[in-house]
Amino acid sequence: MVALPSLISLVAPISYIAVLLGSLIAFSSLYRKRKAAKAASLEPWFPPHTARDIYLSLLHQEDGTVPESMLKAALVVRAREDIKRLITLRQSKNSLQMLLQKGCVGDDLWTRFQRADGEMEEELRDVVMEANAYKEGWGQVIFQTANEMVNHDRIRERAERVATDATTERAWWDQKRERASRELLGEERASKSDSDGVVVSK
Amino acid sequence: MASSTDIYTQLPLSFTEKALTSSYNDPALQSMLEEVNRMHHLLLNVQGNTPPPPVPVPPQRSAAIEKMRTTGNAAFRKGNYKEAINMYSHGIAMAMTRPPWEPAQLLKEELQVLYANRAQAHMSMNNWPEALADVSLSVDFKKAPNPKAHWRKGKALKEMGRLEEAKQALEHGLEFGVDADLKNLLKEVDTLLEEKRAKESSA
Repeated sequence: MVALPSLISLVAPISYIAVLLGSLIAFSSLYRKRKAAKAASLEPWFPPHTARDIYLSLLHQEDGTVPESMLKAALVVRAREDIKRLITLRQSKNSLQMLLQKGCVGDDLWTRFQRADGEMEEELRDVVMEANAYKEGWGQVIFQTANEMVNHDRIRERAERVATDATTERAWWDQKRERASRELLGEERASKSDSDGVVVSK
Repeated sequence: MASSTDIYTQLPLSFTEKALTSSYNDPALQSMLEEVNRMHHLLLNVQGNTPPPPVPVPPQRSAAIEKMRTTGNAAFRKGNYKEAINMYSHGIAMAMTRPPWEPAQLLKEELQVLYANRAQAHMSMNNWPEALADVSLSVDFKKAPNPKAHWRKGKALKEMGRLEEAKQALEHGLEFGVDADLKNLLKEVDTLLEEKRAKESSA
């Protein structure tokens, strides 16, 4: 028997490799599971997408009372919300990457961001598909429309502020003028009383 | 696993009297429903109930706004400032009724001009606070080339005795190009500021 000693001498390295591989596999699967669970439990980047919920709720309403025009309106508003979110994502991407490189923020934040980014892509595709289902070619322009809407909102907000600005400036100015004229009157009265030689009691 | 696009929250919505309502008393939902209803209202007047592409813009509204502006300018030249303000305000109101899918840049430009003109009419009536509010929007919407608006902002602030702010506004305006009027007004403001400081230090 020549094989026995060599077999015995093989048991040690083989079992060593088996234990090593086994523990590596166990670690990797546990680690991945934990990571996935953690990613799933992470807070989403954005609050609930109400406009999207409205559109999909209408789409799944089966009593048929909702006219198509309303669905289209809901889709337009959904697209506008998507553009707003897209702008937020684009704006935060660069600064987030920089913070991540410097180690100022954790990986969690980056995972959350990437998930939001991926969901955004799917969301845009879905809206384009829906739009094209209503009217051929609408999908190509719906986000242009949505973009104009977002800019319109900003312009309107600023324009609406003019009236309130004017009111506050007017109040300030009237008060200032009144104070100035009172001081002027007070001075005049004082100088008058001086020349008259009469003491004016308060 | 369901893809994220398949997941949504089914909301209790009902369609009554041409508007969407919900029994949910969530303020975010209610305000969003309002916007959907407003958009629906706008789309009912559009062919196919889909918003047309941003361009071309139907010319009627632009023409009406332009008419308000020129009528206002004519009234201003005659010294009829109240009438001019009225016309510009009408123009502004009309610009604000532009459907939101039309180019936002167009709205911005129209508002910028109308508010700058109204500011000028207010200034002729010594309504400095109103002029300041109007012209600030013009400056915000169009930094350059817009030296007249920068000048009016500086002037309104100077007339209200806000010299530091006037100086800032004028210097800001000069960043976008050299302008003789802006420079002259800045010189005046600087002189006034010096006088004021001299007075304060002697007092």
